Amino acid sequence: MSSSFDQMIVTEEWDSTDLSLLETLDHVLNRGLVIAGEITISVADIDLIFVGLNVLVSSVETAHEVLRKRQTE
Amino acid sequence: MKLYAYCLVEDVGALEATPLGISGAPVRLLEMDEFAVLVSDFNTETVAVSRENALAHAAVVRSVLDRTTPLPFRFGTVVTEQQLRSYISARKPALQTRFALLRGCVEMSVKIIRELSRANSAHAEITSGTTFLQEKQREIRGSEQSAAEAKDISTWLQDQVKALTRDEQVIVRPSEKLVVAAAHLVERAKIPQYKETLAAAREKRSELHFLVSGPWPPYSFANIELEFKSQFRVS
Repeated sequence: MSSSFDQMIVTEEWDSTDLSLLETLDHVLNRGLVIAGEITISVADIDLIFVGLNVLVSSVETAHEVLRKRQTE
Repeated sequence: MKLYAYCLVEDVGALEATPLGISGAPVRLLEMDEFAVLVSDFNTETVAVSRENALAHAAVVRSVLDRTTPLPFRFGTVVTEQQLRSYISARKPALQTRFALLRGCVEMSVKIIRELSRANSAHAEITSGTTFLQEKQREIRGSEQSAAEAKDISTWLQDQVKALTRDEQVIVRPSEKLVVAAAHLVERAKIPQYKETLAAAREKRSELHFLVSGPWPPYSFANIELEFKSQFRVS
């Protein structure tokens, strides 16, 4: 469903696609109301190695590095 | 029957074209007291932390953002209907207070990344007791400098947007590149002004990198003081 509050990711030089996903994960997985004893998640066979602020930074750095390499090629 | 809970809402009316939820399950509105909860049926033991599931959770919560301000549940909240009713009944005053704070607002996220100072990142080869002590002293000075810089950046950001925010949650990490992660609670009508203000602020600090995103449902402002016994099942 489209929303009148379209989300935006403002970055300087990085591709915003991965950042948008990582920002979503950061919000969904790290924050929100918690009902006692009722977070039941499975972390086996996942496609997310680690989720958190640090992964955002490392992803940004990786994206930055890829971009730099592309520019020098 | 277990339910997957996405978010708590007030005065949302009927759902319109809500996206499918976790595992492709249809989402419905469960009226509870003066509130309602967006839920879908959930039949398995645990919720896989996958890209699809995380995005499905986010999409459902976001689908009502243009009509109301939801209180999102954290990813992986699987409960019975009775547990949900008990939860809401027991925390009704706290939930009302939280809705009063959040009503009409959205969350904007600002992450600031900096290059760590050379004093904090380079290490000399330790060849004697003297160089060890010198290295230690340098590390301590570097840490103090980093902490002071981090605090300055955080205070600076707060000063830039404080007239436009109703509340904020800020994490400062002096020893890390991602030095400040801030969530700002902003009234919807003030979003254009907030964006303009941040854009102007970024121009002033070219040595820093900014990741600005939003509007988000107020994930960072949903927490209410609760007893929390997490049940992480690693399989």
